[in-house]
Amino acid sequence: MFCSSGAVGYQSPEYFCGNPTGFLSLYIIRNFIWLRLLIRRFGVAEMNCETCQLKELELEPREIKDVLRCILHTIFFHRTLSLVRPKDFDCDFFEITYVQCGLPELEKEVDEKINQFVAWVEKHPNRSSQVCLSFFDEKNKLPSWFGNKTERIYWEQWFINLHVISPKRHGKSHSSKALTNIGGQALEESSSRRAALESSIHEVLFQIINFANEKKDHIPPIPDRIFNHEISIPSSSDSMFGWNTDVLRRVLNSGHPYSL
Amino acid sequence: MATLSDSAGGGGGGRAGAELMVPQFHLKALHAILAVRAPRPLAAAPAPAASFRRRDRWFHLPLHAPPPPASAEHLPEPSPGEPLVVDVYLTPSGGGGGAEAVVERWTVSCEPWSAGARGGGGAAASGEGLAVNRAYKRCITLLRSVYTALRLLPAYRVFRLLCASGQAYNYEMGFRVGSFAAPFTRAEEAAMSTRRFAPVETQLGRLVVSVQYLPSLAAFNLEICSLAPAMLITDYVGSPAADPMRAFPASLTEAASSAPAFPPRRPNSWAPSPAPWPYTPGQQAKFSPPPALYASPTPSPPTFAGGYLQSRLSGETAPMIIPGGGRGPVHNRNMSDPVRGFMLPPPSPKNIRGDSGGHETPMETGRTGIRMADLYTNLPSVPKIKIKDSRDESGRFSGVFSSSGSPRLGFSRSSSRLSMQDDTDDLDFPFAVDDVDTPDSRPGSSGGKDVGDQASSSSHKSQDAAVGYLVHMLKSARPLRDSSNSPLTSRVESVEGGNVSSFMSRRTSDALEELESFKEIKENLLARSRSRMQESLDKSLRHS
Repeated sequence: MFCSSGAVGYQSPEYFCGNPTGFLSLYIIRNFIWLRLLIRRFGVAEMNCETCQLKELELEPREIKDVLRCILHTIFFHRTLSLVRPKDFDCDFFEITYVQCGLPELEKEVDEKINQFVAWVEKHPNRSSQVCLSFFDEKNKLPSWFGNKTERIYWEQWFINLHVISPKRHGKSHSSKALTNIGGQALEESSSRRAALESSIHEVLFQIINFANEKKDHIPPIPDRIFNHEISIPSSSDSMFGWNTDVLRRVLNSGHPYSL
Repeated sequence: MATLSDSAGGGGGGRAGAELMVPQFHLKALHAILAVRAPRPLAAAPAPAASFRRRDRWFHLPLHAPPPPASAEHLPEPSPGEPLVVDVYLTPSGGGGGAEAVVERWTVSCEPWSAGARGGGGAAASGEGLAVNRAYKRCITLLRSVYTALRLLPAYRVFRLLCASGQAYNYEMGFRVGSFAAPFTRAEEAAMSTRRFAPVETQLGRLVVSVQYLPSLAAFNLEICSLAPAMLITDYVGSPAADPMRAFPASLTEAASSAPAFPPRRPNSWAPSPAPWPYTPGQQAKFSPPPALYASPTPSPPTFAGGYLQSRLSGETAPMIIPGGGRGPVHNRNMSDPVRGFMLPPPSPKNIRGDSGGHETPMETGRTGIRMADLYTNLPSVPKIKIKDSRDESGRFSGVFSSSGSPRLGFSRSSSRLSMQDDTDDLDFPFAVDDVDTPDSRPGSSGGKDVGDQASSSSHKSQDAAVGYLVHMLKSARPLRDSSNSPLTSRVESVEGGNVSSFMSRRTSDALEELESFKEIKENLLARSRSRMQESLDKSLRHS
């Protein structure tokens, strides 16, 4: 009799203790379901695209052409694996010699994009901006109701970060006479700033060299011409959102980069 | 790729391709280094034609700007398996007893794999072919990096200075090529910077390229020798004294005489003198093509807006045509003078007919009947309207009779009938009334006849009758509001039904989840109870 009553006493606390366990298990199940969904989403979003963020350069508007030509052509020289006729070019404002692939069409395209960027900078002075060079491979999709379409698969992206400042310190005139008339202190500041910028450009170029040699497995087979590419510059709408636009662009560029 | 495939085919296998590739890379790297580290008058070696020799196509990088020095051709090719070391040094000019200072040391070596790695590397021929292709691709990039770095290191500036023709400096640049070199002292090692490029894995081993260099060459104080002071004095005095326009052609003539344009300009830009500034605009004009027109990329919004507007217009114009044509004659013929004023905008010929009909009172009925018949025959929708009208009339009578007997049924029927009457009022209710009254009176009972007589008496009174009809129409129009409420209530009911269905689905899903959780709880409880029972039994046994 005493034993049977003891057994009954043991059962009652079990029922009480069981409830929290059930709720915990339910909680775990729900989290597991959400985790599955998240994994699926991230799995779909993953793409094999190498990205290189170059060091930010602080420069004046008149130096934009030199800097962008130098950087863009250095990248193209390293990512053009077909036969080229290399040509040396000297910068106007810096003691730097960079190499072009010797392709007139590419040179023209780069200059056009640089001119567009310069125009954008004139409208949005004293602002950090980003120029993106993307390499992609095109694949044909299955024919659909809207006809045949090609899909771009980006395999490499280079982000050139520039902070253009207005040359207020040196006045508006850029002639040699004005430069000779500038005081010694201003001249020293200008020369030191330019020397620092030149050193930074060297760092960026060696950054390109290192990245180009460390990341090689993702490059598709060599075509008989230059790889498909796209040079993206900020659009006029970016200025309205400022910093947020940069963040948004970077997020979007992780999968599908921004393009005009 | 064609070159590699030819060489591989000639060799007879992937390994043969690798055996060819590695020595060729050593040779190519050597030529690339000497091309921009062996000072010489570049004018004597102009750029070759567009076509390159087969040898120049290795790694898709012909070395023609500038080409390697002639002395490079006489150098023995690096022996296979041994590293290639190139020392670039500066020595005081004059060939005196000055010590040589190494400013750069390039090392290109192929580090062989270990025995285990070699065993693993021995794959099928196709695998070796793929490996060779991959390695070749990587060698292309590596060689391009070497080519670029050669122009970024400080020694390149010295090379450019020393290549300038017509000038002598206090230092000379030389090179040594070999498979080994004397190690640097501790002091030299500390002063040197090192850059090591990412290696390329090949069948024979890891291809490694590295460079040790002096980051700054300012200590050498490169200056032009004072052996030719007269020429230097003439150049420096002439530039600032003369006008910029006059000085520019002089520099151009000098450049033309010396053939290469870069050497004389480049030293000027590096030298700390005001001379480079006049050349800046020229260089800018040279390197910057005319700017392209910047077009705003916004063509799609106006097109979309236009299409949208067009679709709207098309939607709006469609229903406007039919009712305008149908309503005109109907309203003109039945309304009095003030009503006619409102209906003047409809077509004028019909108005004229209406006026002529109004003047002749005894003929009015017959003519209007004939015209109505013509209109009904012309319009295809007339029979439907007639049917509706007859239904309305019968509904009225039935409503009146039923109201005396059963008020509920009468109310519902009257509401439905009134809604139908509202639809007909807009089109041709007055005509319908006049037309339908006559046939109804004939087959109807005595009550019907009385109604017919009243209609005929009212028709005789022109203006008063019209006003009476208008008042009657206005009164009958009031139920529009009541009838319009019913579809709203039906819509509300449908919305409520949707909510109920969604609520039911949610409840079901929640119930299923709860059921699963309860099942799990049950299983846990059972398992625990079983374990506790066993424990209690064990304890009881022990106690006993």
